[in-house]
Amino acid sequence: MTSDAPATDNRPFAIRTYAPAQLREALRRMYLIRRFEEGAEDSYMRGLIHGTMHLSIGQEASAMATCMELTDADKITSTHRGHGHCIAKGADVGRMFAEFFGKETGYCHGRGGSMHIADVRTGNLGANGIVGGGLPIAVGAALTAKRLGRDDVTVCFFGDGANNEGAFHEALNMASVWKLPVIFVCENNGYGMSTAVTRSTAVRHIADRASAYSMPGITVDGNDFSAVAEAVHAAIVRARAGDGPSLVENVTYRWRGHSKSDRNRYRTKEEIEEWMTRDPIARFRSELIAHGILDEAAADAVAAEAMAEVEAGIAFAKSSPAPAIGDVTRYVYAEN
Amino acid sequence: MNAMTETGLRVLSYSEAIREAMAIAMENDPTVILMGEDIGVYGGAFQVTLDLVDRFGPDRVMDTPISELGGAGVAVGAALTGLKPIYEFQFSDFAMLAMEQIVNQAAKLRYMLGGEASVPVVFRLPAGSGTGAAAQHSQSIEAWFGHVPGLKVLQPATPEDAKGMLLSALADPDPVMIFEHKLLYKMKGHVPEGSYLTPIGKALVRRSGTDLTIVAGSIMVHRALEAAERLAAEGISAEVIDLRSIRPIDAETILASVRKTGRLMVVYEGVKAFGVGAEISAMVAESDAFDHLDAPILRLGAADAPVPYNPDLERAAVPQVETIEAAARRLARREV
Amino acid sequence: MPVEVILPKVDMDMSHGKLATWHVAEGETVAKGAPLFDIETDKAAMEVESPASGRLLSVTAQPGDMVAVGTVVALIYAEGETVAETPIQTTAAPEPEAPVAKTVEPVPTATAHPAAIPQADPAVAPGLRATPAARAAARASGITLEEVPGTGPRGRIQRDDVAAFLAHRVEAPALASPGAGAWSAQPGPLHVSSRKGTGVPLVLIHGFTADSQSWAPLEKALGADRPLIRIDLPGHGRSPRRRLGSFAELARMVVEALDDVTRGHDKVDLLGHSLGGALALAAADIRARRIRSLALIAPAGLGPEIDAQALTGITRATRAESLAPWLRRLTATPDGISDDYARAAMRLRADPALRAFQAELAEILFPDGVQPFDLRPALSRLEIPTAILWGRSDHILPWRQALSITGDFALHLLADAGHVPQLECPDRVARILVRHLLM
Ligand SMILES: Cc1ncc(C[n+]2csc(CCOP(=O)(O)OP(=O)(O)O)c2C)c(N)n1
Ligand SMILES: [Mg+2]
Repeated sequence: MTSDAPATDNRPFAIRTYAPAQLREALRRMYLIRRFEEGAEDSYMRGLIHGTMHLSIGQEASAMATCMELTDADKITSTHRGHGHCIAKGADVGRMFAEFFGKETGYCHGRGGSMHIADVRTGNLGANGIVGGGLPIAVGAALTAKRLGRDDVTVCFFGDGANNEGAFHEALNMASVWKLPVIFVCENNGYGMSTAVTRSTAVRHIADRASAYSMPGITVDGNDFSAVAEAVHAAIVRARAGDGPSLVENVTYRWRGHSKSDRNRYRTKEEIEEWMTRDPIARFRSELIAHGILDEAAADAVAAEAMAEVEAGIAFAKSSPAPAIGDVTRYVYAEN
Repeated sequence: MNAMTETGLRVLSYSEAIREAMAIAMENDPTVILMGEDIGVYGGAFQVTLDLVDRFGPDRVMDTPISELGGAGVAVGAALTGLKPIYEFQFSDFAMLAMEQIVNQAAKLRYMLGGEASVPVVFRLPAGSGTGAAAQHSQSIEAWFGHVPGLKVLQPATPEDAKGMLLSALADPDPVMIFEHKLLYKMKGHVPEGSYLTPIGKALVRRSGTDLTIVAGSIMVHRALEAAERLAAEGISAEVIDLRSIRPIDAETILASVRKTGRLMVVYEGVKAFGVGAEISAMVAESDAFDHLDAPILRLGAADAPVPYNPDLERAAVPQVETIEAAARRLARREV
Repeated sequence: MPVEVILPKVDMDMSHGKLATWHVAEGETVAKGAPLFDIETDKAAMEVESPASGRLLSVTAQPGDMVAVGTVVALIYAEGETVAETPIQTTAAPEPEAPVAKTVEPVPTATAHPAAIPQADPAVAPGLRATPAARAAARASGITLEEVPGTGPRGRIQRDDVAAFLAHRVEAPALASPGAGAWSAQPGPLHVSSRKGTGVPLVLIHGFTADSQSWAPLEKALGADRPLIRIDLPGHGRSPRRRLGSFAELARMVVEALDDVTRGHDKVDLLGHSLGGALALAAADIRARRIRSLALIAPAGLGPEIDAQALTGITRATRAESLAPWLRRLTATPDGISDDYARAAMRLRADPALRAFQAELAEILFPDGVQPFDLRPALSRLEIPTAILWGRSDHILPWRQALSITGDFALHLLADAGHVPQLECPDRVARILVRHLLM
């Protein structure tokens, strides 16, 4: 990261802040998220995947820009819509597919599936099947960092729907009272399942909730990579400085249904199509090209790389062994 | 929706039967309201409420925010003061977020107030495994509530019972929890027209037999019946009792059967330890039916683990027709 | 901790078993899964595998002992495991604060003789196991459970054990010994003959009143290259007339002979006819790992019915004229047996001692004209390829008995054949066998 740009530089935050290689990698991971989820969707339709899954297609900038400055020591807690967070934090798509396919080589050894993917090594404490389940856990992780004198931060992803769970309010309050290094990142995609934010939430912006807990709250265009990166950057700086938590609201949209069983009766085709014109990946890609970070051919190469990685990941997952039936009670308790 | 069998009996699916019960109740009683997450236009996560919002309007079919503790609590408060709410948990697993209102409030209010208060709330809870939804969306926690005086806990196994029990629950002045098995929603069966009440606390002998008694609830009734059918081909005559209600529990029907067969097996989807099987076993051991036991009592419950994601592990984790059949055979052949 | 070796329940309604032989001597080492001992019940005989690897010690049951199911008959100590002098706590000194008893009992010390200390060994004092229903039934009928043999798991007394006990009490024990046997017992192993060849040997066990020579037509039809081993049953052919009291004992003798002849061979194929079929099946059940395939011709032991008249008729006959009609029952068409054949057969039965022995054996094996031994469970347990050949016109054992078996096997029904298809149509039998043995 090079943040010593001249004051007159009015290029977007990300362009002036991150090295070209970092930006290229960010684009690659965004493609990887998109291709991964398309691959998962395809595998689901071929009957290779059990259960359901929640796709974040259309929300890639929020995941990637938020994780831009995080190291493996920094933690995230994720949600049921967590594939993007996982990949942005550096997970291997082969092991993710293996998990989807229920294989022993998957991140959770086939026990968890899509909704519980975690990669503890890269600081991803896991997706969560419980809306709002990750919020207090993130606060706990931040407490650890503070008590142990480490300067890691925790990013807590959650959806707009989760802001109405008691856990959200209890967690924000404690984080603020104890000035813990946690960044609450709300991915506001307009709906909690079928319920529009306007029908479920008393405030106009989720970020407005921040003032009730005396922390900064900011609402940004979640499909604008640079805007997200800038807001999260400020929150991280604040957290690392010991000044406590922040709330960042990334306004975005999910292109797909809530899960694999969604009749889409609560939103219009026009609304979906309109949002699809605001593709965060295409937008970031043209921004990088416009600022000379990449040319078209290089951007295509990045996309092709991501595609190849996804194909290799699926092949790995398919050929991986399934867990032994006799091991059904394994991992319930520590092994000694 | 009004399919007829060859015998001319009307056939509905389990979810249609539940929906019909709710519609009848709302038509007959203006104080009946439905509450829950995405039960309006979305039709409910399992499409049980489906079009009821179109028929009764959003004021009586209320989408709640994702706020289980609050939502269930609001239903309790409304029930306490004159409404008859049916609160749908999207998955029974989420009742844990509302434990406080269910267990500390709803269950105890009448008693704590010396009989001066009534909480006629109905909680509907989609339960069970088999959908690949993993550990936080597949549990069978009905026995937990069996431990709470003040609650009634039902487990309909057929469309007919699903409707009749819901109508009985609404007619009941105390809180009733109805655990509906997700895999049963599509099951079809005869459902009488109009309003009728299935008695709460009355088990049903679904198949009579002489060699052993299998007590089961919910989907396990069907698995036990199939196992009994297979065993009949070998000359083993199993009696299958559909428990229907965990609390109150029908001791009479179970004890009478054990007196007849001398052998008892309890099959349930919850974790085997500390479950429905323990309660029934102890009940038999404490009664005069003990002297009729000609073999140890067998319990068949889920593996001592959270429900795994991998489909084969998931199947292996809970009793299946084959496991019931094998265990019943051992019991009948005096191998235990 | 040493691993306990228990006398297992190997039969549905078994409460006790006779420990027949140890394959491993006390103090020797044994590998997990290796044959450890054989047990015999009134119905079956079976080899028990070692539950662990290690040294066999503390053997408490000797060959011939009747032992209750579940009893610990020995212990296996792992290599290097210290062998406890005694598995009981020898330091059970009274609590210092405990109120002192008036009469001071001698306190066992570490050097006390183990036997002096009472121990709660389940093998020694198993206690009475009975289901609540059995206890209630005993109470109701005024009997004590100690008198009732338990047939449930680990000797547990079940409700129907009590019922059976009550039913037996009223029944008078009837069976008296059939006419004094004009034969004396002879010791020694069963007679075995063999024919050399290449490949897996085929072991042949003949039927009641036959002998090894009866295989000759089939042997010819099978061709000359296959090695053959023929066993003569006791009191048949050239085998000694050994005293025996049950089918299980007979089966044990056959297994002993089989053990002798199969030594040095990896596996053998086994073929038995009629009673020999039942014995082959019993032997395969006990020695499953040493049998490659099993073929049974009109086997006994698959149902109660048998034409016992024919059996006694054959054993009683003292001349060709009275033997011939019974022999004709054996075949599909009576004209298969000529008078010459009957005369030749009678010559082989000329020895009155042989006839007396066989008559008594018939009484032991088929009391009251039924087959009391049931080998269907053994057949359904078998995992080796099994073929059953049966004549459709068998008048001695009905082929429909084969239909009551739950196991997997090939059933060949031979048209126009009776109870002895290997004599009636050896070529057809051989063709089927060759296909079966090639599997
Ligand atoms: C406690 C709890 N309640 C309900 C659900 C069911 N559920 C899963 S996702 C979801 C919607 C969540 O909406 P939001 O937080 O906005 O996330 P999004 O799906 O939009 O990413 C719901 C209701 C759940 N998983 N956990
Ligand atoms: Mg949302």
